[in-house]
Amino acid sequence: MRLPVLPALVRVRGRSMVPTYRDGDVLLVVRGLRPRAGRAHVVRLPPTADGTPRPVAVKRVTGPDPDDPSRWWLDSDNPAEGVTSFDVGSVTGDDVLAVVAGRLWRTLG
Amino acid sequence: MLSLFRITEVSAHCDLPCGVYDPAQARIEAESIKAIIAKVADNDDPDFRTRAILIKEQRSELVKHHLWVLWTDYFKAPHFEKYPQLHTLFNEATKLAGASGTKGELDAAKADELLAKIDEIAAIFAETKKA
Repeated sequence: MRLPVLPALVRVRGRSMVPTYRDGDVLLVVRGLRPRAGRAHVVRLPPTADGTPRPVAVKRVTGPDPDDPSRWWLDSDNPAEGVTSFDVGSVTGDDVLAVVAGRLWRTLG
Repeated sequence: MLSLFRITEVSAHCDLPCGVYDPAQARIEAESIKAIIAKVADNDDPDFRTRAILIKEQRSELVKHHLWVLWTDYFKAPHFEKYPQLHTLFNEATKLAGASGTKGELDAAKADELLAKIDEIAAIFAETKKA
């Protein structure tokens, strides 16, 4: 399903996208665009094995899943921390909700 | 959900919420400690003993680490309500893996006590998984 191209605001929680984005950063994101390899996106992570949902997250879409080019591979920018496709597998295009256009606000400190 | 008029929180979390927890991790390290204590008892080579003691201390740290992960990440407030002995069990178990326990001593009895405590925690863990 193709959504209209619409901007939206999100706030980052956590450290997995350090150094690019820090906890508290406010990002402008755009819905309705095709995922772009190499850019950060807002994604719906797959649920855990026992069905517990994971939160909507900001992750980098590195490119198509090598095993299934119709799916997208996710990574965190912080190699030490964060959920990635190595942990949870790749996601479908529908789970990539928006592309990050840029950072609007960062709190001091 | 995503909107220009409302800031939605998106997770970039450090903790891996994979939900994979198992007291077996702590048990394996504790079994290793027990085996190391037995090997040291049968060996007079100072180099071997030094290595064994170093490894025993590392394994003891790992026991504490795995138990703390269960304590802080797996068990939630309702568990502590239902099993009020949990806090004390974790405290005693991690103490048994510490300087006054398997980390600092070469006492097989301490390793057995530690294994027994881990089993008590594992029994509660298994009950919470059934629920």
